[in-house]
This record gives sequence, C-alpha cells and structure tokens, in this order.
Amino acid sequence: MPSDRIELTTPVGRDWDPVVRLVLGGIADRLNLGFEELDDLQLAVERLLLEAGPQASVKLSFELSDHSLRTRIGPLRAAALAEALQGPPPPPPGELTLRRILETVVDSFGVEDVGHDGSLVVRLEKVVQGG
Amino acid sequence: MSGAPTPAPTDRELLRRYHDEGDRDARELLVERHLPLVRSLARRYAGRGEALEDIEQVGAIGLLKAIDRYDLARDVALTTYATPNVVGEIKRYFRDKGWAIRIPRGLQELNAKLSSTIERLTGRLGRSPSIAEIAEELQASPEQVLEAMEAGSAYSPVSLSAGSGDDGDLDPMETIGAVDEEFERSEQRAALEPALMSLPEREREILRMRFEEGMTQTQIAERVGVSQMHVSRLIRKSLTRMRAELS
Repeated sequence: MPSDRIELTTPVGRDWDPVVRLVLGGIADRLNLGFEELDDLQLAVERLLLEAGPQASVKLSFELSDHSLRTRIGPLRAAALAEALQGPPPPPPGELTLRRILETVVDSFGVEDVGHDGSLVVRLEKVVQGG
Repeated sequence: MSGAPTPAPTDRELLRRYHDEGDRDARELLVERHLPLVRSLARRYAGRGEALEDIEQVGAIGLLKAIDRYDLARDVALTTYATPNVVGEIKRYFRDKGWAIRIPRGLQELNAKLSSTIERLTGRLGRSPSIAEIAEELQASPEQVLEAMEAGSAYSPVSLSAGSGDDGDLDPMETIGAVDEEFERSEQRAALEPALMSLPEREREILRMRFEEGMTQTQIAERVGVSQMHVSRLIRKSLTRMRAELS
C-alpha cells in the first residue's frame, strides 16, 4: 500500500479532544490496529497537546503505510516541550515524564521541525504489527 | 501506665504544620479527615451520568487545592473554606464534560458492553482486538463502536508540566542550552515525586507497571484483576490527578 495521508487542523482544547480521538479511531480501524494500540496513540497525542499548553489551533498529519503510522503535530509553542523530547537521557525509574510516557506508547518520536518563532512540529511513529 | 491519650491535632495545627513546616504527613491527615465531606458533597451530584467514584476523586482534588490555598491568617474553618472549592471542582468537571452526558441511550448501552466484549475477545484471540472485530462481536458498525468508546472515555486530561505556555516566547533550543539541565531535572523530580505519591497505591503501581516495566494494559488488567478498559481509564485519571497536584 502506498503511503496515504490525512490532515486535520483543529482548535485545541478539551471540547475538541473527542474529534481528534475519533479521527485516530477511524485510522486505527483502517489499519486494523488493536484496541490497545489505538489507546496508546490517543494517549500520546493527548499528552503532547496538553503539554503544549493553550493555543488556538494545531495541525495533525497522519501518514499511513503498511508498516507504520506517522503522526506529525504542530506548531506547538511550548518551549518546555523541546527539552522534554530532546533533553537529557531518560529519567530514572520512579519519574513519570512526558518523555517516559511517549517512550512507552509509541515506537519513536522527536522534534521534526523548529519554526522561526520557536514552535515545534513533533513526530510520533507507531509500528503497525504484522504490517 | 500512660496517661490520657494525646488529643488529635486540630485542623488548624495540621494546616500550620503543612504550610509553615512543609509537613506532608499533616496534609495527608487533613485529606483523610475531610474525605467524608468530599464524599457527602459528591453524592449530591450522583446519577448524572458519571460514576460516583469519579466525582469523589474530582472533589478530592478540590479538597487538596483548598488545603494548599488555605490562608492561616484567616479565621475560617477548613470545612467552610473547602466546601466551595470541592463543589466548584465538581461543577467544573461536569461543565467540561457536558458533551459526555448528552450521549444517546443506544451508545450508552453499547458502551456498557464494550469492556466485557474486549475482555472476551482478548481472551479468545490472545491479543488486543481491532475495532472491526469488536464491531462484529457487538453486531455494530466500527463507527458506532468508536462513538461508544468515545462516550465512555470522558475524562479531563491535563498537562503534566506545571507551566502552560507562559514561556512560549523562548526559543526551545535556547531553553535547552541556557539552563543547567541537572538543576532543572532535579527541580522536575522534586515536583513529580510528591505528585506521584499523592496517588493511591494501586494507581501508582499501575503507572509503574505500564511506564517502567512496559507491561501492556492487558497484562496489567490480568495482574490487577480489572478490565483492560478500566486500566486505560485509571492511567488517564492518574495522570490527570498528578497534574492537578502539580498545579
């Protein structure tokens, strides 16, 4: 299957979280992901948006292939996110940071782009089992 | 033979110990002492589409905030001060989730069957079932299943970080280089640990299994003896509660 792409620009906030979750659910159905994998993805996106803090809108881009789902989220304006994602080595056991959460629920992640205003585009990648 | 038992410290004494000396045990004691008040207030909001346990937990966050914000200079009983905080927190919870309480009955019924269906399919398939498999089992469409899942995923996730974009003017790369990383990490650690410790032991253990041991929700569900969906909800609720503690 060639890579397919879905793009969504949405306001950020609790009222809009269900929209993002439903879109992710539809993609998970399309990729035949298990319930847990869907839940992982939803958690990753939710935490990232929440860590980013209040902002008007965000663009989510989902790239689907046989083997993975690549999600790009941005622009995210919170400066603290960069450190959370690119900073020092993973925290020791007992600490529950955004980085540890993402390490658990997605296969890879990172800052893909930094805008002139310091905003970030973050990439999350989930391998499709049996893809 | 010892004399009369030592009288329990008053709320005011515990508040003083917490605020002036940073005694977290005193805070814990205050929380335990006033949880019946939270439960009593939470019961007023039962039967409105939310589990009483969830409402109580939200109310407890209001109690924690009241304890943290209490001004010792004011001559007011903690119960008097805490009540509007607890009620306010509960009302905010319902307001934020207004969309969730208006779901059609059909979806509510489908949602009620989801958890057991996922358990059954997980056992049968030996893995987490897909949306299509759940839909087939429930004789519903994938869209209906997703909507039903959404109807049940009503929660209020919030950020783990104490800030909320206030420093958004800074270049993130500058931020990385400009501060002492170890210092920042130790500050972060100092903030996170109490937040983690504020959770009930079972929820701490679930977070540890998920994010330290890397166990799947299914594995955790088996070990703890709850459903996979319940594990998912507990994880989110715990993260929410940690954030409330941090803020």
